[in-house]
Amino acid sequence: MAMKFKAWLKTITFYEILVGMKATLKHLLHYRPITLQYPHEKRTLPDSYRGMLALLRYDDGTEKCVGCDLCEAACPSRVIRVISSEVPGEPTKRYAKEYYMDMTRCLFCGLCVDACPVDALGMTREYEWAVYDKRQLLLSKPQLLAIGDRSFPVREKRLELQHPNVAFFNVAFKFMPPKES
Amino acid sequence: MATTTTETVRLTIDGVPVTVPKGTLVIEAARQMGVMIPHFCYHPKLKPDANCRMCLVEIERMPKLQTSCSTPVAEGMVVHTATTVVNEAHKSVLEFILANHPLDCPVCDQGGRCDLQDFSHEYTPTTSRFLEVKRVFPKEYFSALIETQMNRCVQCLRCVRYCDEVMDVKALAPSGRGTMTEIKHFTTHQLDCEFCGGCVQICPVGAITSRLDLYEFRPWMLKRADTVCTYCGDGCHITIQTKGNDLIEVNSAHGAGRNNGDLCARGFFGYHATTHPDRLQSPLLRRNGELVPATWEEALEFVAETCIALKLKHGPDAFAGLIASRCTNEDLYVFQKFMRLVIGTNRIDGSARYGHINGVRALRRVQGTHRWTVAFEDIVGAEVLLLVGTNITETNPITGLKVKEAVKKYNATLLTIEALVPAIGTISNIANLSAHHFSVHPERFGNVVLGLIKAVVEGGLVAQTLTQRAPAYVEAISQTLRAIPWETLESVTGATSQALMEAARAFVAARRAVVLVGQGVLRTPGGFGVATNLLDLLLLTGKHDRPGCGLAPLAEENNDQGAVEMGALAEFLPGPSDLDDRAARERLAGLWKEELPQRPGATLMQILGDARAGNVKALFVVGENPIGSLPRAAQAKEALERLELLVCQELFLTDTARLAHVVLPACSYAEKDGTFTNTEGHVQAVRHAIDPIGESRPDWEILSALSVLMGYPIEYGDAKEILKEIRNLIPGYGLLGPAPATPRSDEAVVERYLREGYAEDVGARYQLTGAGSFDMAQPATSSAESDRRDAGKVKDGLQLTLVVGQTLFHSGKLSTRAKGLMEVQNAGSLGLNPSDADRIGVTDGDRVRLVNQAGEMTTSVRRLDRVPEGMAVFPEHFDEEARRLLTVSVDPVTQVPYCKSAKVRIERL
Amino acid sequence: MPTYEKILLKNMEMPGYTGLLADYERVGGYQALRKVLGKIAPADVTAMVTKSGLRGRGGAGFPTGVKWGFLPKDYTGPKYLCCNADESEPGTFKDRQLIERDPHQMLEGIAIACYAIGAETAYIYIRGEFSLGARILERALAEARAAGYVGTNVLRTGVNIDIWLHRGAGAYICGEETALLESLEGKRGLPRVKPPFPATHGLYSKPTVVNNVETLANLPYIVNRGPEWFASIGSPPKSTGTRVFCVSGHIKRPGNYEVPMGITFRELIFEHAGGMRSQKPLKAIIPGGASAAFFTPQHLDVKLDFESVAQAGSMLGSGGVTVMEEGTSMVWAALRLMEFFYHESCGKCSPCREGSSWLVQTLRRIINRRGRMEDLETLTDLCKNIAGRTVCAFGDAEIAPVLSTLQYWRDEYEELIRAAEPSGAAELVMPARH
Repeated sequence: MAMKFKAWLKTITFYEILVGMKATLKHLLHYRPITLQYPHEKRTLPDSYRGMLALLRYDDGTEKCVGCDLCEAACPSRVIRVISSEVPGEPTKRYAKEYYMDMTRCLFCGLCVDACPVDALGMTREYEWAVYDKRQLLLSKPQLLAIGDRSFPVREKRLELQHPNVAFFNVAFKFMPPKES
Repeated sequence: MATTTTETVRLTIDGVPVTVPKGTLVIEAARQMGVMIPHFCYHPKLKPDANCRMCLVEIERMPKLQTSCSTPVAEGMVVHTATTVVNEAHKSVLEFILANHPLDCPVCDQGGRCDLQDFSHEYTPTTSRFLEVKRVFPKEYFSALIETQMNRCVQCLRCVRYCDEVMDVKALAPSGRGTMTEIKHFTTHQLDCEFCGGCVQICPVGAITSRLDLYEFRPWMLKRADTVCTYCGDGCHITIQTKGNDLIEVNSAHGAGRNNGDLCARGFFGYHATTHPDRLQSPLLRRNGELVPATWEEALEFVAETCIALKLKHGPDAFAGLIASRCTNEDLYVFQKFMRLVIGTNRIDGSARYGHINGVRALRRVQGTHRWTVAFEDIVGAEVLLLVGTNITETNPITGLKVKEAVKKYNATLLTIEALVPAIGTISNIANLSAHHFSVHPERFGNVVLGLIKAVVEGGLVAQTLTQRAPAYVEAISQTLRAIPWETLESVTGATSQALMEAARAFVAARRAVVLVGQGVLRTPGGFGVATNLLDLLLLTGKHDRPGCGLAPLAEENNDQGAVEMGALAEFLPGPSDLDDRAARERLAGLWKEELPQRPGATLMQILGDARAGNVKALFVVGENPIGSLPRAAQAKEALERLELLVCQELFLTDTARLAHVVLPACSYAEKDGTFTNTEGHVQAVRHAIDPIGESRPDWEILSALSVLMGYPIEYGDAKEILKEIRNLIPGYGLLGPAPATPRSDEAVVERYLREGYAEDVGARYQLTGAGSFDMAQPATSSAESDRRDAGKVKDGLQLTLVVGQTLFHSGKLSTRAKGLMEVQNAGSLGLNPSDADRIGVTDGDRVRLVNQAGEMTTSVRRLDRVPEGMAVFPEHFDEEARRLLTVSVDPVTQVPYCKSAKVRIERL
Repeated sequence: MPTYEKILLKNMEMPGYTGLLADYERVGGYQALRKVLGKIAPADVTAMVTKSGLRGRGGAGFPTGVKWGFLPKDYTGPKYLCCNADESEPGTFKDRQLIERDPHQMLEGIAIACYAIGAETAYIYIRGEFSLGARILERALAEARAAGYVGTNVLRTGVNIDIWLHRGAGAYICGEETALLESLEGKRGLPRVKPPFPATHGLYSKPTVVNNVETLANLPYIVNRGPEWFASIGSPPKSTGTRVFCVSGHIKRPGNYEVPMGITFRELIFEHAGGMRSQKPLKAIIPGGASAAFFTPQHLDVKLDFESVAQAGSMLGSGGVTVMEEGTSMVWAALRLMEFFYHESCGKCSPCREGSSWLVQTLRRIINRRGRMEDLETLTDLCKNIAGRTVCAFGDAEIAPVLSTLQYWRDEYEELIRAAEPSGAAELVMPARH
């Protein structure tokens, strides 16, 4: 009986509509602007923001990418194309001779960054990449490296203890020699 | 292979009872029932070595875990492959193997198809307890083609064992001890071996990889096309792997094709030939004396109009056609149909004319087959193998592997009649495996065959049944042979009568005997006769109709056999049946709904002669290159220059194509579908791996388009339709079965041969050849001794026989466009026996001049132990200059142009 | 000190004995060969040896007569005898003395064995480093051949016994019988997968017997004095005869001592070998060459025969008894032995190849005070994973020192680890290239 009465009361007072309108009514009363005046104002980005992709370098300026193609394999929307090859003059060292990212297709999911075994890919906090010509979004290796250079000024130290003759990975990672002070 | 055991053993694997043949290894039995036991060192082709210890399984009533790769099954055995103990063992062994592994999968070409990767994913935790420093080997290359990264090696020694057990090359060996074991080759300079790529294929990890495609791909990017190699008559299955339209690599899986996954250098490293930048991209038309690019319409219309005009003016027999045996059966079939119906002439010939036809004609004459009566399995299962005039390792490497397998694995007795001498070298030498080796001058192979037959006849080894069946035949042969005294035979062959007698006895004693006859015989004067004599040998010993016995002429080009069967030769209609075979003509006419031309065909040399005489006005050349193949003495260039129309369908602008009025770009085997018929008569599918380069089209499509323009359409939707038509003609052709059903010899033909067929030339065939004209048979004569003393002082040079032949690393001129093969061999050099080289005082790399009446050439020298004294070998693939020295003689019966050897004087420069 | 009758070392300990044929014949040499050749059937010789209870002196202690019996009976092709003189076990030096001081004794043994198994050819595979031994053997072979004891038609009995000397090239693994055969065939000395055993598929895939020098040297005496006499020595029924023990280490008189099997370690060390070299008490014994597990002083009363030693958890092996005094670091001792095994691991089987390098590196780390407690667990685990998973017994041998020291002297390991610098990892030691 009491239930029936409650339901009847809700019907005649339009209770559900009031619940739905609650946020609107609140903002109507406490007015505070939310719209950002975009080019003049910018949002603070969260720490884990996934923006433009970039290729990174070591502190000595050598590029980190070893051309392993794993980012290409990981990419769900076929953004990346790697053409790998031997480093000229340094046989058996692999690198990406050419590296293309078709950013028109990128989802910014970050799977490529996860896949990279040498942390050569990074996600910057850049997002202002509107262009007039879509073709400008087909980024090549020098462009991607340039993005990396400006977004990651602090570079990782190149791994020491690499035998000059070993392609790349032949390091006992856990037992690095203590860094000399 | 040799004996099929029916004895079986019952055992239980993981609770499931299985029955397998006795002697099966546990790992194989498990695989048969779908249980994969992890392994590295085990490979079905190799003897078990049990060194990786990965395949441990628990077998009840055995104290320790056993390696399943080395334990044969036993009755009532109970095997567990997935217990905790076994899993722990797999884990621990993998932990050990991974301890020193660099884990550089991201930069390793094997990454994605690596056994170690797969097993690690399955068995090991992602972290390792190995806290120490991994051992590091300095980087080392084997060669420009094969690269090693020994840090990745798991020391399974598969490569070493393959190189020894299968290839018999023994180029690799482990060096060092313990963890510092590395796979090395023997000398300080780069690896010099057969470059079969077997080590690359068989390496379970990325320790040995091909440098041709280093770092260019990831396995998951590749598209595969199962097709057939185009380089020799063996017809090896290859899997071409492509990325986009680029050829990335070639391999062949274990168990695949007639080659069982084994390849040679040509197959493994020669695949770049078809994508060479020199490939013709568009049709070329001669305008004002220059070949200029044109459209297909222009080129085809020009050809059609000129043809129609010439046909009206001179009749159909002013036309002729030449086709290379590298074309598919479909191309060959459409070509001969085009020539016979659209043009209306039988004047067609192909590259089987250079030698293979000798073997086919001999087979047809004596036993009525055009194919082998044996298959590769019979070679492996033979008790005695007689190799005549075939440096099989270099000409037909995979057939050679079958011979090696028969000898090394199943203890067959090998008889060789060869110019080669047994010697240790960088490539394997079949003479090393031979039990009875007769090293003779290349033009005297027939003499040793005569010696063998004489030994059979005079040693009382003639089969009883034959003596009763054809006494006159036996008598005729023995009478002719009686006229040749043993002394003469011994002096011209350099072999003693005892040796011949022993060899003959070994041959007769065997239940299964296969005779392999190679281009060394078929391409030298008298080749047809020797091939027939070898069939006589089989007849006399009563082996010709026994299962597992027979004569096997080895084809040089990949589809020589197909060219014969498609009737793309002067004397054959498709089938093959003879040109004047009334029944066949009627059948064909019924199928084609058109009368066949009546006038006889013309062979290569006749066509060239007629062209020179001005009787042939127009010539269609499909992939054939007479100017590049025949010596200058054949005057091919002069003949072709007189033509009013020369149409070439080619991959490249060859010497012949340069003279053409129209050059039409054709597709290579990698770009078209079709079938090849290999030397043993197995029809195998060719599948396109990449899109056609430029505007090139398959040969049959070009001919089909031409036929439409000429008003007689021969049209097909695709290659399969042509095959269907061929199958109507030759029942069962190209039904791609696992192994060819070998034909049996036709007893009626044999009977006719035994009664009268032999008689026409028995006297001519049973004659010694080359008697007294060379001194090669006695290498260590006193004059040779004194020559050696005067090393370097021979002023007027040394008389030698120059043999222009095939090498392992090339096939025809096509392979000289393959960058991988050019890394191994990029120029011709003259192979000389070291003592001959000493006599004129030259060492490796020195220049020499070769002179004879026909001309002269200069080249560099390479000392080869396997070349006999008195002989010099030069690769035909780089014979631009050498062709000047050669003369040409034509076989009276088969019209084969013999142009592979010449007598020359050699002098140091 | 009880004295025992010596058998093998008796001749060479006589004053003025040179080991030449004349000397050997004077003390009754080659009488046994004369006694058997053509007079006793080969099968009876084998039966005699079986009855004597002679067991292999190379390490495994397999009954010699039984081994000979494994040869296929109805086989008519060539058979071979190989004398394993590749004595490379650390702490063992008995064969060297037997070869250098009395070569004819072993040649006679080889000849008798050849006759018994029907082999016409015997190979002596001698360790490459024994250059003096090889020269002495060559001379002895020449003498024996000249005197008609070796060669075709030996002693005009129609029996052919040819003996050839083959020098190794310094690999420990070639003391393993199948690796020895591979090496003898001219291949890389790697052990073969068994089965098939050498008895059926040995040298050049022919039936082959491989026997140790000391085993073969016993044969003339068994023939001369009868199997019953031999079987009565030592601790019958399982371990008969005498053994030459090579006592070395921290003792007064290191050397070869021939004693009957069955005396105790205490008697061997303290009575025959003169006791410890200094006042320090005994700490550890290696009872049978480097591949045997260590013993502690509480094992001093274990009898020196195959069964007793095995029961106590080690093996009699090649008879190399190494004694260590108090104050010796057992970790260091284990490392020394492990380094030997690491150096000698042939590299065929993954567990042994990678395991030996892993063990040696971890031990080095511990001894250089960079160890961690988890390492001890890892060491034990690795040893267990190597054991029984290799083609030959090398895998089982190489873990013995580590496992036994870990069992008895774990505190020494822990002490070293506790002394480790807290910073842990520092300098990394690259394995040496050899």
